[in-house]
Amino acid sequence: MSFSFTAEQEELRQLVRRFCEEKSSSEHVRRLMDSDDNRDDKIWSQMADQLGLQGLSIPEAYGGSGFGPVELGIVLEEMGRTLLVAPYFSTVAIAGQTLALSDDEAAKQRWLPGIADGSLTATLAIAEESGSWELDSVETTAAQAGDEWSLTGTKMYVLDGATADLLLVVARAGDELGLFAVDGAAAGVTRSKLDSVDLTRDLGRVELDGVSAVRIGSGDATEMLVKATDLILAAFAAEQIGGAAKCLEMAVDYAKIREQFGRPIGSFQAIKHKCADMLLEVESGKSASYYASSVVAAGDHESSIAAALAKAYCSTAFTHAAKENIQIHGGIGFTWEHDAHLYLKRAKSSELLFGSPARHRERLADLVGI
Amino acid sequence: MTVQQTNIPSEIESDDDFRARLRTFFTDHHPGKPPRDPKERLAHQKAWNATMFDAGFSGPSWPKEFGGMELSFAHQVIYQEELARARVPGPMGTGLGIAAPTIIRYGTQAQKEEFLAPMLRGDKIWCQGYSEPGAGSDLPSLRTTARREGDEYVVNGQKVWTTQATNADVLFTLVRTGTQESRQKGITYLLIDAHAPGVEVRPLRDITGGAGFAEVFFDDVHVPVSHRIGEENEGWPLVRTSLGHERAAGAMNQAAVYRRVLDELTALARERGRASEPLIRDQLADFEIRVRIMRYNAARIISDILTKGEPGAASSVSRMLITAFEQDLHEFAIGLLGPAGLLTKDSPHAVQRARWLTGFLRTRASTIGAGTSEIQRNTVAEQVLKLPHDPGMPPR
Ligand SMILES: Cc1cc2nc3c(=O)[nH]c(=O)nc-3n(C[C@H](O)[C@H](O)[C@H](O)COP(=O)(O)OP(=O)(O)OC[C@H]3O[C@@H](n4cnc5c(N)ncnc54)[C@H](O)[C@@H]3O)c2cc1C
Repeated sequence: MSFSFTAEQEELRQLVRRFCEEKSSSEHVRRLMDSDDNRDDKIWSQMADQLGLQGLSIPEAYGGSGFGPVELGIVLEEMGRTLLVAPYFSTVAIAGQTLALSDDEAAKQRWLPGIADGSLTATLAIAEESGSWELDSVETTAAQAGDEWSLTGTKMYVLDGATADLLLVVARAGDELGLFAVDGAAAGVTRSKLDSVDLTRDLGRVELDGVSAVRIGSGDATEMLVKATDLILAAFAAEQIGGAAKCLEMAVDYAKIREQFGRPIGSFQAIKHKCADMLLEVESGKSASYYASSVVAAGDHESSIAAALAKAYCSTAFTHAAKENIQIHGGIGFTWEHDAHLYLKRAKSSELLFGSPARHRERLADLVGI
Repeated sequence: MTVQQTNIPSEIESDDDFRARLRTFFTDHHPGKPPRDPKERLAHQKAWNATMFDAGFSGPSWPKEFGGMELSFAHQVIYQEELARARVPGPMGTGLGIAAPTIIRYGTQAQKEEFLAPMLRGDKIWCQGYSEPGAGSDLPSLRTTARREGDEYVVNGQKVWTTQATNADVLFTLVRTGTQESRQKGITYLLIDAHAPGVEVRPLRDITGGAGFAEVFFDDVHVPVSHRIGEENEGWPLVRTSLGHERAAGAMNQAAVYRRVLDELTALARERGRASEPLIRDQLADFEIRVRIMRYNAARIISDILTKGEPGAASSVSRMLITAFEQDLHEFAIGLLGPAGLLTKDSPHAVQRARWLTGFLRTRASTIGAGTSEIQRNTVAEQVLKLPHDPGMPPR
């Protein structure tokens, strides 16, 4: 187990960092946030064509470059730093990884190449009105009619759910839990964007009324979905710790230049201590995130522990860093024009999506046998 | 004293062979549980230090010349892992962590020969006499003086909170050779024989009821100039010397120790039927996360040293993480036990010899000794995050 990155991985990080800093400037983020779009088409295709980011973690057999969760983590950490507005997390980290895990060759052949080349966006719908991502709280039903399936139910808090081309939907098929593919534009699908606090990330509501669907994989999908969840959580933790690191940097940079009482505020101890505490959490969160990224591919007991741990810790660290960043910026930090609030909103939404830190501590307690 | 060692791994010894050899040694020579009585405990530790030293299993990063193992960093990590696994303490004493690296770096050949091996073997107990009643965090304001008389210094003054001073043979101290106003530019690093005439050690009772530290008074104590490390008035920069990489390797050991302590606490919660309470579980899960992160941080530091030659930012936050963890953990344990957690080790009703209560009290020092957490955060903020210096503080 290595916690350091290879030269190649460092190169990837630098490449993505430069790209995100250039393409996801505050101005870009704000333009997209005020529009109905959840991406800039030009940037999305550059990501796919020039950098190959959409295909990064997709197996070579399906048009990707076959890297794993570590490389995906690097990319997401960098995207998290600049709040990149794009359906990347939903399409690549969620749907791409979930599909790649399935044993359904036909499904993989059909959809993964589109994800890899950037022509298809996708997402996964688990949570419903209850707001829980627990698999056993799924109520949406799947009914079989010959070779066809039809889904009925309502999904909530679906990342990019209102726009994704392909919806992967978790539903009950009798005693089994199944994963189904639904065309976002299919008849019987009604979707809307939820008005939520984080303007840089779209959450959708998806109503399914007897919608025709294709079942992915055979038999009960629970085990596969648990593995997928670990991959998603590890990826999410990476994105969050990137955001947290950026908040710390913003706070430190500002503390060096803002003067009060004739000296930089960063020379005051109250500010120094806040920054030192943020550093503690950011560095610890990176350790947790890097560890999770490096073990989740194995899909064993340890990956579930590492993923729950990373989600719980990095979520908390990000929200804390985002709040302190505002505090350290003072009045300016409370203004709409300043980006500090964008990070707070991203942090809070990331904290509560896919299970809160308390929920993941509870899971961790179960997993380690407390 | 020249030292001949035979157990040092040769360049070609594989990691597995080295590990196996350590494992055999620690199993065959395991010192057993330390006794409760403080005097017996000290003798026990000294004997174990000597056993390790004589076998050549001491001083992982030290030069071989002075009885060390001169291990590569990777081997140091293995060494620490095996110590933790065998549940044996490494060679111990304040001197090893603080004075030794200073002497290794700044001492004369004669000083190295005279002091290092006996310190490592545990023949001589060393203690750190830096703090004074009026000079804690503001160490450069210290007032204990050393006046030069021929080839001796004459020392007068007082030190305080000196850990282990009652058992000490050597005090490594900071004394003022310049004016008071010269602050850190007039400080000299002196090694003082704790048994020399004029040295008086008065045990200080501490918060736990024990006497872990003491006051030390110097009344015209004569110290040979040859026991000065570095130049006169130039002792200050020596204070920050550390074992660097050995400390980083030790972080693994620490993580393993806390892993065990947490497992014991979790077992206790279960035994007392509390582990299924949601709030208790949440706390235990939080500790579980922190103790694992301690290990991940250590692994990341090690990995960075191995690949980049430097420990990276994670190393600067390790201590903050650990000190807060051990305080929270012990306080939680007392709460878990309820009023039973308040019983002292003298009570026959005490749970697990009152280790959690003692720990709760003992760990108050974690955020005070060796630099308070406030000072530590200042340092991290300025040195790692490069925040501006506090103009009210002396320059570094
Ligand atoms: C168990 C134990 C063992 C010890 N062993 C040794 C030993 O072996 N040898 C030795 O030399 N010393 C030893 N010490 C002393 C220790 O190094 C000092 O206690 C420590 O440096 C703090 O100094 P002080 O106690 O004078 O507190 P002070 O410096 O007076 O600090 C009091 C409070 O003020 C805060 N404070 C002080 N200055 C600042 C500042 N600039 N900014 C913000 N806050 C500040 C501190 O953080 C603290 O909260 C030991 C202490 C303990 C508790």
